[in-house]
Amino acid sequence: MIHGDNTLVLLLAGGVGSRLNILVQTRAKPAVPFAGFYRIIDFSLSNVMNSGLSQVGVLTQYKPLSLMRHLGTGEAWDFTGRTRGVKILPPRTGFQDSDWYKGTADAVRQNIDFIRSHPAKETVILSGDHIYRMDLDDMLRFHRRKQAHVTIAMMVVPLSEIHQFGAGITNTEGRIVEWEEKPRIPRTDLASMGIYVFDTEYLLRLLEEDRDEVDFGMHLIPKAIERDNVFAYPFHGYWRDVGTVQAYWEANMDLLKGDSEISPQAWGIRPNPYADRLQVDRCPARFASGCVVEGSMISAGCVIEGEVINSVLSPGVRVGKNARVRDSIILHDCVLEEGAVVDLAILDKRVRVGAGAVVGQGEDKTTPNKACPKHLYTGITMIGKEAEVPPQAVIGRNCVVTPSRKAGDFPSLLIATGETI
Amino acid sequence: MKLKPKVLAMILAGGRVDELNVLTAYRPKSAVPFGGFARVIDFALSNLMHSGLERVAILSQYRSFSLISHIGVGAVWDMTGRYRGVSILPPSQGSGQSSWYRGSADAIHQNLDFVQYHDPETILVLSGDHVYNMDYREILQYHRDKDADLTIACLQVPMAEASRFGVAEIDDEDGERGGRIHQYQEKPADPRFNWASLTVYCFRPSVLYEVLEANAREDDSFEFGRDILPRIMAGQYRVYGFKFHGYWGYTRTVAEYWQTNMDLLGAEPKIQLEEWGIRTNLEHRSVRDCQPLKAGPGAHIENSLVYNGCVVEGRVENSILFPGVHVKSGAEVRNSVLFYDNVVGHGAILDTVVSDVNVTFGARVRIGEPGVPQADKVTVIGWNNHVLDGTVIGSGCTLHPNLRPEQMGGEIKNNEVVR
Repeated sequence: MIHGDNTLVLLLAGGVGSRLNILVQTRAKPAVPFAGFYRIIDFSLSNVMNSGLSQVGVLTQYKPLSLMRHLGTGEAWDFTGRTRGVKILPPRTGFQDSDWYKGTADAVRQNIDFIRSHPAKETVILSGDHIYRMDLDDMLRFHRRKQAHVTIAMMVVPLSEIHQFGAGITNTEGRIVEWEEKPRIPRTDLASMGIYVFDTEYLLRLLEEDRDEVDFGMHLIPKAIERDNVFAYPFHGYWRDVGTVQAYWEANMDLLKGDSEISPQAWGIRPNPYADRLQVDRCPARFASGCVVEGSMISAGCVIEGEVINSVLSPGVRVGKNARVRDSIILHDCVLEEGAVVDLAILDKRVRVGAGAVVGQGEDKTTPNKACPKHLYTGITMIGKEAEVPPQAVIGRNCVVTPSRKAGDFPSLLIATGETI
Repeated sequence: MKLKPKVLAMILAGGRVDELNVLTAYRPKSAVPFGGFARVIDFALSNLMHSGLERVAILSQYRSFSLISHIGVGAVWDMTGRYRGVSILPPSQGSGQSSWYRGSADAIHQNLDFVQYHDPETILVLSGDHVYNMDYREILQYHRDKDADLTIACLQVPMAEASRFGVAEIDDEDGERGGRIHQYQEKPADPRFNWASLTVYCFRPSVLYEVLEANAREDDSFEFGRDILPRIMAGQYRVYGFKFHGYWGYTRTVAEYWQTNMDLLGAEPKIQLEEWGIRTNLEHRSVRDCQPLKAGPGAHIENSLVYNGCVVEGRVENSILFPGVHVKSGAEVRNSVLFYDNVVGHGAILDTVVSDVNVTFGARVRIGEPGVPQADKVTVIGWNNHVLDGTVIGSGCTLHPNLRPEQMGGEIKNNEVVR
């Protein structure tokens, strides 16, 4: 905790994350709920808190409202007090009429005044949309020990996935000697996690050199590697970018395994129980006589009368008599009426599935969604916030029902696999 | 304009009762956990919040630490702000007569300076020990409508049980709403009327001051039920009864406590936590840091309440699990109430058990006997105990807190007490 008093943390929370489809239609990716009543950003915020860091700026841009509500005063992560604080940093009009953030480095550049007003030897820059636990204090000590200008947290990933990441080649000391951003042909399996420690003075110099360099991975990092000391801080353990529907679903399912690698509670991950009147107002989950609950995570406020297998339920979900949920993620206050079936689906908040309706029907899980074939291709069906699936409707695989659709918006009670409403 | 509150609520939360046994070894009765995540006093506090009464004092002297950490600053019940607040009033020394609280009335008498400082129009005295849902605005309105000196909330109980309560004879002046109280008796041996007092009193402050002073001068017993109410009945005062028709649960004995917990369960539970809007302090015991319940692949949960932070791999039926309870595979928990952080080992079977915080049941432990659960067969276990693997414990047993493991070895027979 030696760095606790002066290290500045900048959390990049502006991403659209459009591959999460309807989940990001009303909120930014870091604000997407995860593991019942957490939001994705809770993992980064809690890592910051548990590392003893307490000066935080959160850079937002896309649909920041639910994120701002969630952060509140930062009290949930102990960011309130004399020397602690969390500030939301939205884009502002500046030299030009419109200064939207053009990239990660541009976003930080536009907040140079914030960095200068919090003098700190080092600045930690991380993204708010990953699921992991990491001791940033240890990374800071590594950074000092190596006398690095920049330290990048990196981990080994399968070669087939390296094309999604910044890839680095290190020498025996751990210094990064070569860098490729999202390489087509893999030459290394060491991937950047998008977590950087910068010497603050060095960061400011680098940012001021060329205003057209708007991205860390594309521009600033390769330049720094070429000229100065950039080290790879090795990370081992569970880390997921849940930026796709498939990855989001898989990470939620990872929670349910008996010897699960993710455990928000054991990791010290903290939700904000006061935001959205979430947890504080919820009673214990109620399990009726004759219900079935297996291999699942169930939040307070749920009422289970039917069957829940291998699923993650956020607070306030009601599963009616003879209703069945399997392999699904059900967000806050959804209602599954009597006899409804939800199989391999993601339901956003306050969805109502009418009596006897089926969400996720059919053996064909591989015909992708017609409108978004790259989002939904493994059978997962998504229902948008506050949509109502009419009683007896049958929805196939890889379907999307966009938010707030009501019975009248359904062309028929039979929605074929791959369709979108 | 209703800035400054006109009602001061005072919660009597100090007591402990021997009958509740080991559950109150380290906490007052009002701080006993209840309902899978809350404490008994949360019912009074939540009722106050929903009634818009947010100037509150809590009188407490017995092992207050648990209660004080539970109340915090009162933000959970919206009791912070310019004219809102919750003050915990422990006994204190001063230049005048001061001592431990010698009874519920003495607790208020010793804090008359606090009461008079707030200069309320009405003083609402409540007990922190009861489980019920009441909109206090109704009794306050009745109290004002009748221009009463004292209004007591009462519930009609079977005549056979009336001797356990303070009972009033209420006439039908206002039908189902209430009426004048003509007689009041504290725990009469041979009751002739059966409107039991809920320990919800609305006082005209001047009358309360007067009677408390007189009682302090003339008596050496200081209880509302035993001393103050009879004293008021004997004087020339307007005393009314407000008739309450809802559920009222009490937790005076282990059997009652267990029964009141069971009233949370079933297809139509008598206690409707959600509808009643029960609020509790999730900071207490870091409940806010728990993750959702994790049910293992072989879990079976029926007719139960389970809060965040639990892990269930075995069977749970007709039971209430507080945060942090772990029921391991092959274990069965039936008709039981397990407080925070209990661990039930592989293959253990618990039937009709109330277990305080931090109790570990080893593998294959057997407690209670199968059959129809009965309130008088509850085995109650004090906190911080480790029941060794294979131990057999009967029904109706009492295990005191912090026992050495060897004190619980082998077999404990029905109704045995281990201390």
